[in-house]
Amino acid sequence: MAQFTFTINGAKKTVDVPPDMPLLWILRDLVGLTGAKYGCGVGSCGACTVLLGDEAVKSCLISADEVEGKPITTIEGLSSDGSHPLQKAWVETDVPQCGYCQTGQIMAAAALLKAKPKPTDADVDEYLSTNICRCGTYPRIREAIRRAVAEEVEER
Amino acid sequence: MNPELSRRSVIKVGVAATAGLILGCRIRESVAATPPGAADPFAPNAWLRIAPSGEVTIVVAKPDIGTGVRTSLAMVVAEELGVAWESVKVEQAVADAKYGSMMVGGSGSVRGSWRPLREAGATARAMLLAAAAKRWGVEPGSCRTENGVVLNGAGSATFGELAIEAASMPVPTGVALKDPKDFTIVGKRLPRVDNHDVVTGKARYGMDVRIPGMLMAVVARPEAFGGGIASYDEAAARKVPGVREVLKVPSGIAVLADNTYAAMAGREALAVKQDPGPNAAIDSDSIFKQLGESFQPFGDAPEGKVVEAEYAVPYLAHAPMEPMNCTVHIADGKCVIYAPNQAPDAIQRSAAQRTGLDRSAVEVHTTLTGGGFGRRFQTDFVDEAVQIAMAAGKPVQVVWSRDDDMKHDFYRPASRNRLRAVLGSDGKPILWQHQFMQAQAGRGAPSWGREEIWYGIPTAQRMTGGARTPVPTGAWRSVSHSNTGFAIESFVDELAYAAGADPLEYRRSLITDARLMHTLDRVAKLADWKGPKPAKGKGRGVGCFIGYGSYYSMIVDVTHDPDLGIVVNHVYAVVDCGIAINPLGVEAQVFGGVNDGIATALKSAITIKGGAVEQSSYFDFEWLRMSEAPKFTIEVVESRESPGGMGEVSYPPSPAAVANAIFAATGHRLRTLPMNELPE
Repeated sequence: MAQFTFTINGAKKTVDVPPDMPLLWILRDLVGLTGAKYGCGVGSCGACTVLLGDEAVKSCLISADEVEGKPITTIEGLSSDGSHPLQKAWVETDVPQCGYCQTGQIMAAAALLKAKPKPTDADVDEYLSTNICRCGTYPRIREAIRRAVAEEVEER
Repeated sequence: MNPELSRRSVIKVGVAATAGLILGCRIRESVAATPPGAADPFAPNAWLRIAPSGEVTIVVAKPDIGTGVRTSLAMVVAEELGVAWESVKVEQAVADAKYGSMMVGGSGSVRGSWRPLREAGATARAMLLAAAAKRWGVEPGSCRTENGVVLNGAGSATFGELAIEAASMPVPTGVALKDPKDFTIVGKRLPRVDNHDVVTGKARYGMDVRIPGMLMAVVARPEAFGGGIASYDEAAARKVPGVREVLKVPSGIAVLADNTYAAMAGREALAVKQDPGPNAAIDSDSIFKQLGESFQPFGDAPEGKVVEAEYAVPYLAHAPMEPMNCTVHIADGKCVIYAPNQAPDAIQRSAAQRTGLDRSAVEVHTTLTGGGFGRRFQTDFVDEAVQIAMAAGKPVQVVWSRDDDMKHDFYRPASRNRLRAVLGSDGKPILWQHQFMQAQAGRGAPSWGREEIWYGIPTAQRMTGGARTPVPTGAWRSVSHSNTGFAIESFVDELAYAAGADPLEYRRSLITDARLMHTLDRVAKLADWKGPKPAKGKGRGVGCFIGYGSYYSMIVDVTHDPDLGIVVNHVYAVVDCGIAINPLGVEAQVFGGVNDGIATALKSAITIKGGAVEQSSYFDFEWLRMSEAPKFTIEVVESRESPGGMGEVSYPPSPAAVANAIFAATGHRLRTLPMNELPE
């Protein structure tokens, strides 16, 4: 056990955990943020995706010692009221079916838009293929991302 | 589905000054009405509540496993009640016998609830109208409702203002239901009620339940079916920081800890030695061989062109995104269960039996459910959690790792299908025989019966049989249709080519059902079937299906890419599901069924080795990913017919439509799923 400090959604947080404890379980079981989901624990499904800085990471694969001192954004930090363009687009496009994978999908999409504010369809397919949706919501995920991008452009 | 539903009558169950109007559907005659004034504000048996504040609460008894019933069923009540959709709050029912069957499956939620929920809403509306008429001294017939307000030349009053008076009105019987042409909510494209919670991370799934003092538990289980655990190191597990308990339970060795990671680390430390048990020699090859040995000679055939083919499908896991989990708190003579599930009533019965408590002392809360697909009909994951909570004497959340979930499922049975047809001089089958052999425990002796088929083939016969194996099997999206749909739709395609006919036109010549014919004609238009022939390496395949009260046709476009293999580019689908309560939800189910169809056509299979499942996660049992998902063009037929089910109808013909497109593109007829390799 050791102390690790990092920033979660803008707030400093210190936890006393084994160095190899995955961020996913720190978030879910110690910090009380359950928006990142457990789907596979081996980085195959992306349900646990969060942002480390501006990059999408699978929180089940990244351990306490690797996030020491770094800024993490979870779905709860993207916006708590659903006002982020991606969250709004997701609701309007009616993306979720069971919904379990969707926080991970949105965080992966958020990282995509940080890297490529105007992604092509091929970019979307490439970035989001790290995330499985077993309900098959893919056509609406594509549509929601297009919608969010269009809204961003309009606001500028 | 449930014959009792049609006998439901709507009764008033009670009123309290603070509760306003509470209405419910009575399931059994023996359920007595609670006298007015004496009811608990949260009295059971209620489908809707209107508070004097005006708040409208609609209770949904069916778990939402992703099919959208929390939205669609509430829409049905709201429609007949006459409230603004935006004013409705949806509440998930806690398990109770008064709801009748709470199980979700067989694409039956909407079909079974359609009439009783309409009646519940309409009866409430009639009572609100009566209350307003009485208040104003006018005829109820002179009043109307609009968005939660009763209106009349004499005045207007909100439902909230009328709630208490409405509750003392006599309960009418045989209330008139709306004419579908007057629907203002049903038929609208409405986003789901849970979307906001889902996209902000506030939605509570089973794994998100937190109870003070609860421990997280994982279980080391025997890997082989019928196997055991030979030895384990309890002391090593207890040394892991955070581990609190190591318990021997019927399903294996449970490790309980302060957090999930510690529980998993504790399980690792157990260093379990597996006892493979009596089934160690069983593998997929031996099972398929056994199935082949079940086939019988076809017997005599009339004269004509004989076509024979055999199709095989593997076991499949459900592998929903949220693995099995269950939270149980037993204290003070009560057992409180939080579970993502498909059968709250079955869970309640099972837990009552296990704890020895009365059913009324078992409280089953259905959380949002991260996928079901048939897996969560089973109560095994709840039974186990109840046993662990009883042994621990503390609240526990039992979490299944992805491996646990993959290796301890109730699998879609593997099957072999042998078909024979004889074509008459017009190319149509004058004989159709289908031997369907499933790897499923408890199969009786094979026997011939009628083949339920969506084509007008009067001679169609099916022999259902199979082999007993130790691999647990269960319902998986579309159940046996998930096997036979591939065989039938592939075989019809083969018959078309044998008859020298266009595969779509050939189907048209066999279809006798007008609604199915309409979907096929529409999809042919939508996809421009008669347009230019696909380029080299590209092909189109057709699939049709009738089931669950719905009618469905599809055309799939594939490309045979030298580097990527088979790529599904575009799916055209037309569905007639009667009245589409929420077309957004209908389309979503088409995405789901078809994407499952493509994944299981091209990639997914569960295989058995050493009496155990070989796959362990999403890298070796794969679902479709974004880059592999096709584009969709979907049309939902406008209809006044009663709603059909949507959860399953698009699956059965999908793998066949892909196979048919591969044949059109490459000339290779692939008859074994998954079709992950083309012949050289």
